[in-house]
Amino acid sequence: MGANIYRNKKPALVFLLPAFLFMIVFLYYPFLKNILNSFMEIKQLGSTGTSFNSPWYSNYVEMFQDENVWTSVKNTIVMMIVTLIGQVGIAIVLALMVDNIGRGKSFFRTVFFFPIVISATALGLLFNLIFLYDKGMINQLLEALGKQNLTDWKAEGIALVTMMLPVMWQYVGFYFVILVTGLNNISDELYEAAKIDGATTLQRVRYISIPLLHNVICTCSVLAVTGALKVFDLPWVMFPKGMPLKSTFLTGTYMYYHTMETKNVDYGAAIAVLIVVLGVVLAKIVNSIFREKDY
Amino acid sequence: MMRKRVIAAMLAGAMVLSATACGGQGGEGNAPAAANTENDAASDAASDAGSSDAGSDAAQETPAAEPTGPVELVVTTTFAGEDTNAQNYKDAVAAWEAETGNTIVDTSATSSETFKTRVITDFETGSEPDVLFFFNGADSNSFIEAGKVVPIDEIRATYPEYATNMNDDLIADSLVDGKKYAVPVNGYWEAMFFNAEILEEAGVSKPGPNYTMDQFKEDCEKIKAAGYTPIAAALGNIPHYWWEFAIFNNQSPATHLEIPGSVDDANGQAWVAGMNDIKELYELGYFPENTLSATDDETFAMFTDGKAAFLIDGSWKVGGIVGACQSDPEDPSTLDADKLAKFDVTYVPGKGDRKASDLVGGLSSGYFITRKAWEDPEKQAAVVSFVEYMTSDSIVPVFAQHTASALKNAPEVDTAQFNALQIKSMDMMSGVTSLTGAVQDLFQGDCRVPTFDGMPEIVTGKVSAEDAVAEGLEAYQNQ
Repeated sequence: MGANIYRNKKPALVFLLPAFLFMIVFLYYPFLKNILNSFMEIKQLGSTGTSFNSPWYSNYVEMFQDENVWTSVKNTIVMMIVTLIGQVGIAIVLALMVDNIGRGKSFFRTVFFFPIVISATALGLLFNLIFLYDKGMINQLLEALGKQNLTDWKAEGIALVTMMLPVMWQYVGFYFVILVTGLNNISDELYEAAKIDGATTLQRVRYISIPLLHNVICTCSVLAVTGALKVFDLPWVMFPKGMPLKSTFLTGTYMYYHTMETKNVDYGAAIAVLIVVLGVVLAKIVNSIFREKDY
Repeated sequence: MMRKRVIAAMLAGAMVLSATACGGQGGEGNAPAAANTENDAASDAASDAGSSDAGSDAAQETPAAEPTGPVELVVTTTFAGEDTNAQNYKDAVAAWEAETGNTIVDTSATSSETFKTRVITDFETGSEPDVLFFFNGADSNSFIEAGKVVPIDEIRATYPEYATNMNDDLIADSLVDGKKYAVPVNGYWEAMFFNAEILEEAGVSKPGPNYTMDQFKEDCEKIKAAGYTPIAAALGNIPHYWWEFAIFNNQSPATHLEIPGSVDDANGQAWVAGMNDIKELYELGYFPENTLSATDDETFAMFTDGKAAFLIDGSWKVGGIVGACQSDPEDPSTLDADKLAKFDVTYVPGKGDRKASDLVGGLSSGYFITRKAWEDPEKQAAVVSFVEYMTSDSIVPVFAQHTASALKNAPEVDTAQFNALQIKSMDMMSGVTSLTGAVQDLFQGDCRVPTFDGMPEIVTGKVSAEDAVAEGLEAYQNQ
């Protein structure tokens, strides 16, 4: 009887049931319902569609003809690339540098990780003030340096860069901490042996740190790419309604725009389906590129 | 073995129940404690505010509806943010709470499309407030169609005195069934604020009731030459006021509220001409350089900081301008009277059959009582009492100030309490030749998207005004 309790898995199922039900109610049912909604005619958020669109797939036809959908998909892919290079890339550099200093590692960990704990909405408001056209921090600095005209950091040509900089900055610390932890797991004996053999610091990084961090970098890359698909709050706070000229829409902000602003709820549902499809496809691609190695 | 299964099941059940109990905290069981705390705070607030004469008078009027006991009401209004009446609303709520012992859970927010969506979604999902101060135009159609608010006549059947201090002719009929639902408080007007100092520096005289678009363009050119931005407006964010008046300028007060049947009919062409008028002003460089990427708050700040000359906005913006002239926006005693003296308000430049003094305005909002609260025996009297209080003869003038109201016996306005801009507003309003409702209040939802959110595309020529108007009208016909 005593040993039986470890073989009998049924009690564990009972404890798993609430979480399973939670997932059914709050994830899988809404997901399936959303697919159905994308074919229905829904006039208000929260109401149920009473009839199918005519034709029932009209939202998907419209989606392919909608320039803003393509803009938002393009921007989202750019965001992924920026995330990959800007967040993971910078985090690698910072982690390697911090790993090579003697003192103050925990100080830099805290400093670089800090932006993660600030809400994206607050950061959006903060960066709004930094990039403000009139009396913004950057324009004031430039003015002090002698620049005559104000720069509109949210103008059409530069808006995407202005949007992506804070997003990039916010999450560098997250990947930095993961990578520093990965570096700590590399045995000091390897570095000492290389040092005795005459390897320089750069060589130790190139031939020991980077190869042994490969799996951690892969994990960070997958997290960064899939995370880029979900970026919403900071871009929306800084660039509501895809301003200017709907050039800064991401898939998430465009879905929200149609659901909450234009009240085109069923079209918003169709964009949500597109986001899921895009997420699954991109996650597959990223997983196949950044495949982890067995050592 | 069986006993262990039972224990496991009990543990799981206990976990679920404890989670439910946690979620339930702060609900009805704790309401009295919360109510007492808030009552104390409300009493303090009321006494701090001197219980305002208006509040005391209203309390003495003895409302027809007597609440059965302390209850908690959820109230949503648009008295928030920079709205002139945001503080008046807080004071009035505090006074009512102190008087009745009831508490108000205030979920007010600044009006925006997201706010409207939130309110309508609350109705759709059954989590509507008990009392709602909201627009009485097409915005309220969905919850009126669903029977989720109570007509005034139905309330009067039980509470005969309800809203009898109002002139029924001035209470708007619902677009759905022609019944009256919302008890109005204060009216609104839309006009053109200006910075007198900039105009003086640019050699422009104060615009009057015969001001025309041609004169306006000449003045804008002078202001631009003087190094200022002529018009403070965020076309990529809030083009609403320019949209309304640009269309109005190509119609007349008699035809302004007619929604075009198609882009080709007379009204449709007037709408197209209106959009093209805004495009012309944009091309002439009269809007801020960042008008397509700025928010309304940013361009408003340009105006109050003395960098832009004209601002078309509503009567609620008087409070915003006054607030911007205070070192502490919450404290009227910190008002910089000299700075406020620079601001003035006048008529919107006219064109064709519309004179500058033909303004947009009316009573577009009011207090709705929701069916859910009305049918709750504990809340019914309280919601009626609350609305009666907020629409009483003594409270309404506090809110109405320099705007109109629907009161039968509106008291004489005491201008001694007014600031300089409020007095200028009253002077301006005394010369108004007509007040017409806003056609955008009848033209709601996704039909507005091509010309509202699409304004940047129209002014930059990426989309023609004809196409944008036609797309909007098609969406309207499909509603």
